Amino acid sequence: MIKKDLFRPFTILLIISWLTIFVLIPNLGVMGISFLTRDEANFIDFTFTLNNYQRLASEIYLKVFLKTFSVALCVTTICLVISYPFVYIISHTIKNKSTKDFLLILVIIPFWTSSLIRTYAMMLVLRVNGLLNSFLLGVGVINEPIEMLYNWFAIIVGLVYSSLPFMILPLYTAFEKLDHNYINAAQDLGANKFNVLTKVIIPLTKSGIAAGCILVFLGTLGMFFIPELLGGSKEILIGNLIKNQFLVARDWPLGTAIATILTILVVVLMVVYARNTKDTNRYQVVV
Amino acid sequence: MNRLARLYSILVYVFLYLPIVVLIVYSFNASKYGTAWQGITLDWYKKLISNSGLISSTKNSFLIATLSASIATLIGTLSALGLYRYKFRGAKLFVSVVYVLAISPDIIMGISLLILFNLVHMNLGFYTLLLAHITFNLPFVIIIVISRLRSFNRNLIDAAKDLGASEWVVFSKIILPLIMSSVISAWLLAFTLSLDDVVISFFVTGPNFEVLPLTLFSMTRLGIKSEINALCTMIFGVTLVLIFVSHFVFRRKV
Amino acid sequence: MKYLRVILVILFFVVHLEVMAGRELNVYIWSEYLPETVVEKFVKETGIKVNISTYDNNESLYAKVKLLSNSKNGYDIIVPSTYFVSKMRNEKLLMEIDQAKLKNFKNIDEKLINKPFDPENSYSIPYLWGSSAICYNAKYVTGPIDSWNVLFDPKYKNKVLLTDDAREVFHVALKLLGYSGNETNPDHIKQAYEKLKTLMPNVKMFNSASPKLNYINEEVIIGLNHSGEAYMASLENHDIKYVYPKEGAILWMDSLAIPANAKNLEEVYEFIEFLLRPEIAKEISETIGFATANKAAIPLIIEEIRNNPTIYPGKEIQEKGEFQDDVGDAIVVYEKYWEMLKFDH
Repeated sequence: MIKKDLFRPFTILLIISWLTIFVLIPNLGVMGISFLTRDEANFIDFTFTLNNYQRLASEIYLKVFLKTFSVALCVTTICLVISYPFVYIISHTIKNKSTKDFLLILVIIPFWTSSLIRTYAMMLVLRVNGLLNSFLLGVGVINEPIEMLYNWFAIIVGLVYSSLPFMILPLYTAFEKLDHNYINAAQDLGANKFNVLTKVIIPLTKSGIAAGCILVFLGTLGMFFIPELLGGSKEILIGNLIKNQFLVARDWPLGTAIATILTILVVVLMVVYARNTKDTNRYQVVV
Repeated sequence: MNRLARLYSILVYVFLYLPIVVLIVYSFNASKYGTAWQGITLDWYKKLISNSGLISSTKNSFLIATLSASIATLIGTLSALGLYRYKFRGAKLFVSVVYVLAISPDIIMGISLLILFNLVHMNLGFYTLLLAHITFNLPFVIIIVISRLRSFNRNLIDAAKDLGASEWVVFSKIILPLIMSSVISAWLLAFTLSLDDVVISFFVTGPNFEVLPLTLFSMTRLGIKSEINALCTMIFGVTLVLIFVSHFVFRRKV
Repeated sequence: MKYLRVILVILFFVVHLEVMAGRELNVYIWSEYLPETVVEKFVKETGIKVNISTYDNNESLYAKVKLLSNSKNGYDIIVPSTYFVSKMRNEKLLMEIDQAKLKNFKNIDEKLINKPFDPENSYSIPYLWGSSAICYNAKYVTGPIDSWNVLFDPKYKNKVLLTDDAREVFHVALKLLGYSGNETNPDHIKQAYEKLKTLMPNVKMFNSASPKLNYINEEVIIGLNHSGEAYMASLENHDIKYVYPKEGAILWMDSLAIPANAKNLEEVYEFIEFLLRPEIAKEISETIGFATANKAAIPLIIEEIRNNPTIYPGKEIQEKGEFQDDVGDAIVVYEKYWEMLKFDH
């Protein structure tokens, strides 16, 4: 008898307390510290200041933000362009269910593999005496090895490589939900292939596209070890900047200010996404 | 399916797998720095097995992964249930917060937890790592279980309640068995995420509790060495096993 | 559900056993600074479990130790460079060392103790010293390599490696401008920053964790390197050479120190005693190619290494070079320009 009354409040209390202690309070702490001053001895000095945000608005930091957003945008676009046709082909042209399952598992394997391992593997391929260069030299396309590692090319390839499954899986979910009847109807009405694509398929897979783009974009923003490994510690993106403030430069207020801006961005993107996908598949997520 | 389409999809798979294949192949390369191919060897694997620091990191990682996945699945399943079944004030807000957490960059959670632990003067080590891992696993567990609950047949619950079952019985004897495959999938995902986590562990672990991804990260920062190839290959092998296990579990889902 | 609870309880029990059992030692040291063979010998002899974590520059070491200073337990032993010993000492981050417990302390070269950064060595024990100078691959690099200026040559575009260490990189520019490597004047540091900006197009990567791999793999052909790393690289690839520039090399010394909140004190003293043994110091120096501070070990070291100028530079090199010193508050200025260097190129 008592169990019945306790179960409901128990489950609710459980999740509320966990989130409060380990999410709400720390994030409030992050935001709070972003308004304090740096202290050499104790990390933070409880003096209110807007200095951190002012510094972030200066040219040098704005450049970092800009660079990071451009990279994230670039990576997202490349992932979308590569994944969309791929998912369309797998989802629509393969009829055999178990083949489809198998092909999907092949995509999930990299998704579940540590991105650190995949990044390191990419280093093996891109380096001067690595696979790609040896192949190109052997085939005679080039005379001298191309520098494909420790530069922006490597960073972007690495980020795309790491993020691709995050674009493929939501797209796949959206495509699976796509009702063939719509396509058939459009074709019956005389639409050509291009129109079927742009006027039927793309709008109907909108939620998958949006979900994939958000996952990839946000995932890229926080990365620090991929640019560090593939960029030779030469390039600084937002993730490296934040990490540096905590583990090298010891400027917590600046680091938390950057993190706060990132968090606001995440929330804004989520709100925009939620507002624009009003169908029942609103919270469709990759499983 | 036309040729171009087939070629394209094969290319994508090649892109996804080539580096991993290269990694596995080169883990058997007798050359220490993997530049030229110098014959097959199992030396690097043998070296790994006798490296006690690595073995201890691995044990630690599995311990944390198992514990954090189990606790997160426990809390997460109950929470998902609460959020799904009970309409309380702020439920919608909570679900939104959970989604935001799932997609937020890990680094934000990493530093926020670091600040929390520092503020309460908590010793950085096993317990902080465990708490951190449970926290980042929770949103994923909740999302997976809620997704499954949404397609749950409410009639079963109503029927049970009509027959006089209490909340607890409804949960343990009706809902849970039917969503069990999702719960197990959630556990497996949490386990994998915990095993692979670099960013959050980087910030909250302490001097006496090193985990595998961090050891791997310091090794990769040194540069390219065949020993690292062998380690990565082994970890990849474990992941493969987990995936196949999870797939079989999933297949039995209603 | 019931089984789950039982399993969890058992797991927690197991965890407690694991976590509480046995003698342990938590070492935080430069990467590639402690040969595995030496650690194995220690473990075999004492049964103490040694947990090693690594860092590759003093700033990271300092930041981590500071972070942990709020915890009950920090690392048991760390190896800061001399200029960070004084900084950490002043901030009460280090524990006083009881030299009475270290019989082997007498093995340390007297020329290296009682220095201004730690009078009477109350907080540190010299471990290894060495230099950072120019390393290059003779197969691709020709011509006299005698000055830091060589790194700026446009023909080395995207072929240069720099260590990931603010002080070392700035040292190069400061010396070329005629200043001291331990400059504290912000204007001079700024000038060094401007000069370094012109070097950036040549820089392919920053690496302090293990630069030797990048030279061995021929990913870079010239740049900064530490003496020991250059020595180890030359063993794998005989084209790799190490040379001291005329403006003077960067000289540094790293010492063993105990953080104030170290837990395993008995184990730490055993470990330090072990490292101070002449045979062990010899093994360390021969394996990783850095000069030992242990005078008793020197006669035991094999001749090729004892006379190798890369590892044991002669008097003139030492005099022309400049030892790294604490720059006090100016370190913040260095760090600021270092960050700017990395994102504005």
